[in-house]
Amino acid sequence: MITSRKLLLIFIIQLAVVNATPEPTIDFNRDIAQLISKRCLECHNQRDVKGNVNLTAAKEFRIGTENGKLALKLINEGKMPPESKGVSSKLPDEEIKLFTDWVLDGSPWPKGRVLDLYETTTDVRAGRDWWSLQPIKRPDPTNPRMNPIDSFIRQKLKDKSLTPAPQANRRTLVRRAYFDLIGLPPSPQETEQFLSDQSPNAWPKLINKLLASPRHGERWARYWLDLVRFAETDGYERDKIKKNIWRYRDWVIEALNNDMPYTQFVTEQLAGDELKDRTELSMVATGMIRAGTWNDEPNDPADYIYTRLEDMVHTTTSAFIGLTVKCARCHDHKFDPILQSDYYRIASFFWAGPIGQSNQGGPPTELLGPNIYGWTDLNAKPTPIRLLHQGERDKPGPEIKPGFLSSIPSLNKPLIAPPSGSKTTHRRLQFARWITHTDNPLTARVLVNRIWQHHFGEGLIRTPNNLGFKSDPPNNPKLLNWLAAEFMHPTFDNGPAWTIKRLHKLIMTSETYKQDSIHPNEKEFNLIDYPNRNWWKFPRRRLDSEALRDAMLSVSGKLNLKAGGPSFYPEMSNEALEGLSRKSGDWQTSTDYERSRRSIYMMTKRSRLLPLMTTFDFRDTTVSCGKRNVTTVAPQALALLNNHFVHTQSQAFANRLIKLTNNTIEQIQTAWDLAYSRKPSTEELSQALNHLRKQQAHFKQNQTNANSNPRQLALVSLCHVLLNANEFAYID
Amino acid sequence: MEKNSQNKSGNIFPCGNTRREFVWEMGAGFSGLALTSLLSADGFFSKHIAASEPTLKNPLHPRNSNYFGKAKHCIFLMMNGGPSQVDTFDFKPELKKYANKTLPKNKKYINSGGRRVGYLTPNWRPFKPGGQSGLLISDYFPNVRNHADKIAVIKSCHADSHAHGSALVAMNTGSTFIGRPSLGSWSVYGLGTENQSLPGYVVMLDKRGGPISGQPNWSSGFMPSTFQGTLFRPSGNPILDLKGPTYIDSTAQREQLDLLAKLNQKHLNERPGGQELAARINSYELAYRMQSKTPEAVDLTKETKQTLEMYGVGREPTNEYGRNCLIARRLVERGVRFIQLYSGGGHLEDTWDGHESIEKNHGLHGSEVDQPIAALLTDLEQRGMLESTLVVWGGEFGRMPFSEGKNAPGRNHNPYGFCMWMAGGGVNGGMSYGETDEFGFEAVVNKAHVHDIHATILHLMGINHESLSYFHQGRKETLTDVHGRVIKDICS
Repeated sequence: MITSRKLLLIFIIQLAVVNATPEPTIDFNRDIAQLISKRCLECHNQRDVKGNVNLTAAKEFRIGTENGKLALKLINEGKMPPESKGVSSKLPDEEIKLFTDWVLDGSPWPKGRVLDLYETTTDVRAGRDWWSLQPIKRPDPTNPRMNPIDSFIRQKLKDKSLTPAPQANRRTLVRRAYFDLIGLPPSPQETEQFLSDQSPNAWPKLINKLLASPRHGERWARYWLDLVRFAETDGYERDKIKKNIWRYRDWVIEALNNDMPYTQFVTEQLAGDELKDRTELSMVATGMIRAGTWNDEPNDPADYIYTRLEDMVHTTTSAFIGLTVKCARCHDHKFDPILQSDYYRIASFFWAGPIGQSNQGGPPTELLGPNIYGWTDLNAKPTPIRLLHQGERDKPGPEIKPGFLSSIPSLNKPLIAPPSGSKTTHRRLQFARWITHTDNPLTARVLVNRIWQHHFGEGLIRTPNNLGFKSDPPNNPKLLNWLAAEFMHPTFDNGPAWTIKRLHKLIMTSETYKQDSIHPNEKEFNLIDYPNRNWWKFPRRRLDSEALRDAMLSVSGKLNLKAGGPSFYPEMSNEALEGLSRKSGDWQTSTDYERSRRSIYMMTKRSRLLPLMTTFDFRDTTVSCGKRNVTTVAPQALALLNNHFVHTQSQAFANRLIKLTNNTIEQIQTAWDLAYSRKPSTEELSQALNHLRKQQAHFKQNQTNANSNPRQLALVSLCHVLLNANEFAYID
Repeated sequence: MEKNSQNKSGNIFPCGNTRREFVWEMGAGFSGLALTSLLSADGFFSKHIAASEPTLKNPLHPRNSNYFGKAKHCIFLMMNGGPSQVDTFDFKPELKKYANKTLPKNKKYINSGGRRVGYLTPNWRPFKPGGQSGLLISDYFPNVRNHADKIAVIKSCHADSHAHGSALVAMNTGSTFIGRPSLGSWSVYGLGTENQSLPGYVVMLDKRGGPISGQPNWSSGFMPSTFQGTLFRPSGNPILDLKGPTYIDSTAQREQLDLLAKLNQKHLNERPGGQELAARINSYELAYRMQSKTPEAVDLTKETKQTLEMYGVGREPTNEYGRNCLIARRLVERGVRFIQLYSGGGHLEDTWDGHESIEKNHGLHGSEVDQPIAALLTDLEQRGMLESTLVVWGGEFGRMPFSEGKNAPGRNHNPYGFCMWMAGGGVNGGMSYGETDEFGFEAVVNKAHVHDIHATILHLMGINHESLSYFHQGRKETLTDVHGRVIKDICS
């Protein structure tokens, strides 16, 4: 038998020797397999046999297409592939010709060859050879003397004829580090402390100090809470409080502060109840599973079970492995090698839990103990879960055994039965072990990308919750892979594996991180890489809603650093409460002191989010959010100009200055120092003085209240302006 | 071999996704700079432009649709609570014959809230023909009846939930689960808005309270908050944070903004090319304008006495809804794209949720809205605005044709069949579409699901419901998901 490869060889030899126009030669694997896979298999495969036609194997192909003739006819008539939304999907001429030639040639099909929808990546979908599913191999940095991050970054810059921006000045750096690691501005004393530290390790020392601060977890927990769609109520009609779920929020903060290894962090959230050495806190961690919305009055409770499963599958697979597994609930994934049965495999992990309507969608108290809003299985041997055709409950398909994603073959093993006497299935525990296995190609890539993103505003992959076909391809895959490998197998220092704080330090001590946010060649480089995908400068960032609010409290001196415990209820104007079916109802505004706590401790009630926060792009609380929107709209300006909270902070800010000094110039200088970590320029000083003079005169002229103090009000006005300025909202 | 999507013919927008969808997914949102930078990354803008004069794209910039559609604006009259179809726009004479009998056993339904199931009950008020078309409309809407020739009643609506919370969210967002963008958000996302000093999508609630489930009803879901509905109050300062403390009068604020501009300009000068900074500077000037333009939109002092009277402003029970309808017309005049006016708020009898008594409940709510709605139609027509303004009337579901017990005068929730109507904006008036069964219990002929209603509304506004998509978490999301059929019969 002459194999097609041999034919190809002959063809090449002919080309080389004779240099004549050769007869086109068709290679089944190169040409036909790709063509059929790309154009036909989605609807004609072993699992989805539309029109009773399966095109994955020779015999089935011949029967289904009448030896290819029927297929030719339909393809030429433009009937296959079928039109989509009224638009013809007729194949391009060259593909029709290729197919025709092959059919006329007797449609030769290599013996035993079976096609598979996901065998290779095509230009319509990813196959099992998709990059993010391949094992993580550590690339060697080009320059061993550099921080490897810089080595990989510099190489790319060189390739693009770009150069890195010079290092930012130390005032910029200290501000950047404080906002980045703890989400608060440095005090003038803290700034001064860093600026005056001339030792060569002043920078790593500062990073260590901030990483050790309890404020650090309060900042970074926010990113995780976004990912697991955390909020403190159910949503829907009654929007009931999820009692004690704030303990989960505190658990995340503590885990980050204690630098809990990521493996344990994942495992406790998924299966803290199934651990041999389970503790009250490890059970609190399972609150993640039921932190989502919960409808207490679903139209059809039996259907709603599947909606909840989807929420859990989607949240966990988005957050931990960055794949859109939920898309395979009704059919094989359109773009990624995820079978419909894979979806039900993952869903089976939650199947034994309290997915029904009782107990606010959770287990009875006695299973976990009091004061724990968490998750556990209701029994160790649940009824089997069935695949649902089209995702519909009245179209049950085969039983699906618990398992993992089929597209990661090295870890595709069946689950083992729980130990005898176990009260749970141990499925979630095995899911956690699978996620945190060092051979899982996704987990570390997803996590290091998130850490990078929160330091730089954008990830190395700019779709943090999706590393599949529809993702943003990594611009620097070597760097991504190196970071992922380093996260699991430390070499750079001897730090413990899977810990995040050393990752922060590694990133922040790089020259890449310390760059200025302006480049001397800005204009020229914009022509080459406007989105800064090569990191030729540090990206300037606007504070998010929490950091903005916290920074105002910090500068005004009102910030209450009480950590943990039940959330506070912010002041909600009557106008904002109007949108509620029960109006003020259960909204019990907290005391002023409580209300001055950090934003992470603010009550997030799904039906009544604080307008000040939502205006500044607070996330949607219903699904996992890997990256918030950053919008700039007029209502934000209105809020900062007129909102009661902002005025209260401006007032406190002014009072703080008055307490410190009675000297106007000193007040102005301190104001700049508190708000911007610097002294005002001469020009700014005179502008500020001018403002105070004008406002004071105006307030005096219009004085209606004998008790009001025009001089003080003028200072409040100045403070208010400082909180509105771009320098306050943006970090270089 | 490891493959990377960059290898796929160099296209990072696979499968025909437009760049724009991709940009949204990337979270670039509204920030003009981010948008420009991502587009330029793909050579979308000439590199020269990207570098020297970044185009600050405003997603609310008005866009004309290149598709069929006469309506430029939509006013959705939301009858919160679920009005009874057999008592309003779907006359069922057979009910008289079946009165005091039960619904046949073969008719299956979920008995919402486990309430008592009573007997088939005819319409509480008589129906009469209106206009030349003779469209039958009950005496709960005698004034609207005068506009029968403008109205297309869709009698065959059906929905997915019998519970207020999820049904209302579905009527607003297409899904019974919270978290998706609402119809108004999709409209503004697709078409932008014509007046940048006013929100593009305005929601006015009933004074008695907000709807069940609250904010998710006008949320922009996974889209940027730029597209979410803005709650508008009918007098004074209609939106939040329009006024600060009293001592900051306009002179004092102008002085503040002048200092702010100076500080920001210096900051910008030190950061050449900082377009996001420039965009934020501009947003303050816009905010300043909004402070005066927004109150002006709800200031009815310039309206004639005749107009106020027509809407029933200053009189009960029409004052509140009359004001809101009149404000809606003013907002349309000022270019607002999508306006939703709630009738009924809070719970039970404060809404159209007539469990206790249809006559009492619909008598009250009908009398509150009938004259204002009729006035709105008259006013829009007189001003030549009706052709470009789509008016939609309906609730989240309908009500059962049977009572809640012997001699009980109320009706329970019914998502299986109910009616809505549309007028103006390219709608064929004086007609009805679809039918319920002889009891008015369930839609049987030309059934119109909520998705079909949404597809039709978008169609009338010039948007193809299958094409208007937003790329989110690996999927092209649309308002109607994979469903939706335009009801062409009612479109002129």
